[in-house]
Amino acid sequence: MALSQRLFDAIVDGKAQLAQSLVEEELRAGADPLALLSETMIAAMDEVGKLFQEEEFFVPELLLSARAMKAAMEPLRPLLAAKGAKPAGVVVAGAVKGDLHDIGKNLVTSMLEGAGFQVIDLGSDVAPEAFVAAIRERHPQIVCLSALLTVTMEAMRATIAAIEAAGLRRNVKILVGGAPLTERYATEIGADGYGATASDAVALARRCVGQFN
Amino acid sequence: MNPEKRIGPKRRRVLDAINHRPPDGVPIDFGGSATTGMHVSCVAKLRDYYGLEKRLVKVCEPFQMLGLIEDDLKEAIGVDVAPLMGRGTFFGFDNRDWKPWTFNGLEVLVPDGFRTTVEPEKGGTLIYPKGDLKARPSGRMPKDGFFFDAIIRQKPIDLDHLDPSDNTEQYQPLTEAQLDEIEEDARARGNREYAVFASLANTNLGDIAWVPGPDLIEPKGVRDVAEWYMLTASRPDILHKIFERQVEVGVANLAKIHDRLGDDAIDVIFLCGADFGTQTSSFCSVRTFDSLWKPHYAEVCDWIHKNTPWKTFKHSCGSSERFFESMIDAGIDIINPVQCSAKGMDPRMLKEKYRGRLVFWGGGVDTQRTLPFGAPAEVRAEVIERCEVFSQSGGFVFNAIHNVQANTPVENMVAMFEAVKDFNGRS
Repeated sequence: MALSQRLFDAIVDGKAQLAQSLVEEELRAGADPLALLSETMIAAMDEVGKLFQEEEFFVPELLLSARAMKAAMEPLRPLLAAKGAKPAGVVVAGAVKGDLHDIGKNLVTSMLEGAGFQVIDLGSDVAPEAFVAAIRERHPQIVCLSALLTVTMEAMRATIAAIEAAGLRRNVKILVGGAPLTERYATEIGADGYGATASDAVALARRCVGQFN
Repeated sequence: MNPEKRIGPKRRRVLDAINHRPPDGVPIDFGGSATTGMHVSCVAKLRDYYGLEKRLVKVCEPFQMLGLIEDDLKEAIGVDVAPLMGRGTFFGFDNRDWKPWTFNGLEVLVPDGFRTTVEPEKGGTLIYPKGDLKARPSGRMPKDGFFFDAIIRQKPIDLDHLDPSDNTEQYQPLTEAQLDEIEEDARARGNREYAVFASLANTNLGDIAWVPGPDLIEPKGVRDVAEWYMLTASRPDILHKIFERQVEVGVANLAKIHDRLGDDAIDVIFLCGADFGTQTSSFCSVRTFDSLWKPHYAEVCDWIHKNTPWKTFKHSCGSSERFFESMIDAGIDIINPVQCSAKGMDPRMLKEKYRGRLVFWGGGVDTQRTLPFGAPAEVRAEVIERCEVFSQSGGFVFNAIHNVQANTPVENMVAMFEAVKDFNGRS
């Protein structure tokens, strides 16, 4: 079996150590880091997203593949940086103020990283001013807000208001997600997009970057 | 005394419902368990609303900050179910020696073991396992928050050399002292006016609330939530060993409880709180559920059904319908919270498909939108519709979908209770 197929399978199957060692083997064999990333590794994560949408994969499998992708990226990262490779986009992500639940947010950030985005993960219980600061410092195209609870989802509205008040609203596309959210709520609070699943986030993020370009 | 003589109307209502006989009205549960309760602030507001004796509300479940619903409030609401939970809590201290505590401007009563500090930077509240302030905190409530979340205290682990016993430290045989307390609490109910809902044996297989070990001083094994979820796919062998040990201890505890209390002291027993559904999908396939959880659930349910008249209660949030046939097959009698807002959980479909085979304990009103954010008239309309759909031929105990959250307007809660009462008056 071709090395690239074995790497693809290792990421889809969630085999972190194998994925990393196969990347190292590919690089030793002279593979181009950028091509490896886009043609094999991101393709593998796209397959994972598809299997998740089709309910062949569930949260555990997504987490395993995300971990495998992260491990596979380790030997690749310095080479990509040396080549001046640009990410697919820059994303600031966090669970809003008062919300400590981060599994959903972590799934989204993993899928976005797997799709080639650079993600600045602010963690959980993130105050509006922290999002504003991150936008000023890191210049993302996209801000992802997550909330699991009805008692915290209103913090999304406050966060968007803070970004507006800081004069930064036009600089970013804001995507929201989380169990109690709906498309209607997302529109009501002024978000640019709503994702019901982690896979939706990747498609939305790609569209958003396309709009900036 | 002949047990039949001891069955009052509230208990009879519940027994009829959970045995799929049409009851004299939809039975109501608030406060029967840690998944059918109310935030302490809601309990306080309701006590004020109903003009009940002014006293501080006890936080009977500190993780979710649930308030104890005492008999006078039960009467005002129309509750038919009483809890039997033992004195232990999620954080490993007991519910005893109550003291006042204030949060978000509300004064409540908490047990003496409820010991907290405030984070210097973010201002959150930290709580400590077994009340030990020398230990690392095991829970955190954000500043202005309403309940705690577990702090993940994962020690470095070698995933190739896991010891299942590291994840079973929490699951211990009940001591004689604990059984004495359970018996004391059960006997205190006296004439058994209410149906009794027991949460005692801790057969929670993979309940993510317990995985981080919030009650342990130094949790060992796999305590990170994401790592645990990954184990369900990558190392089912380890999980089987953990569940086997839990079931062994759990069934032995059930036997001890039954020996002490007898058949008649309990009507419903909480089996497990592990969530299998998400808002739009599930945490695993039915195939995984059948191989990893079902045999262990079946073992516990078999023991309960062969040795007691108790009904088994399974909590599973989210889009869980795909698992219901397997759960019924495993011996699960009751499902909660019946999250109708999740994908594939239409109330009419659920009742049609599972009538006579599964009791719906919950499903009464959407707690993600209607109850917290709707108008009272919308709450009323939804409650009545749910009662109409779910109550046919019994098999329904009214509860909101999961615990009533903080910030739920009191007029909406009252609209919910009044709607059920009105439905019961009409039918």
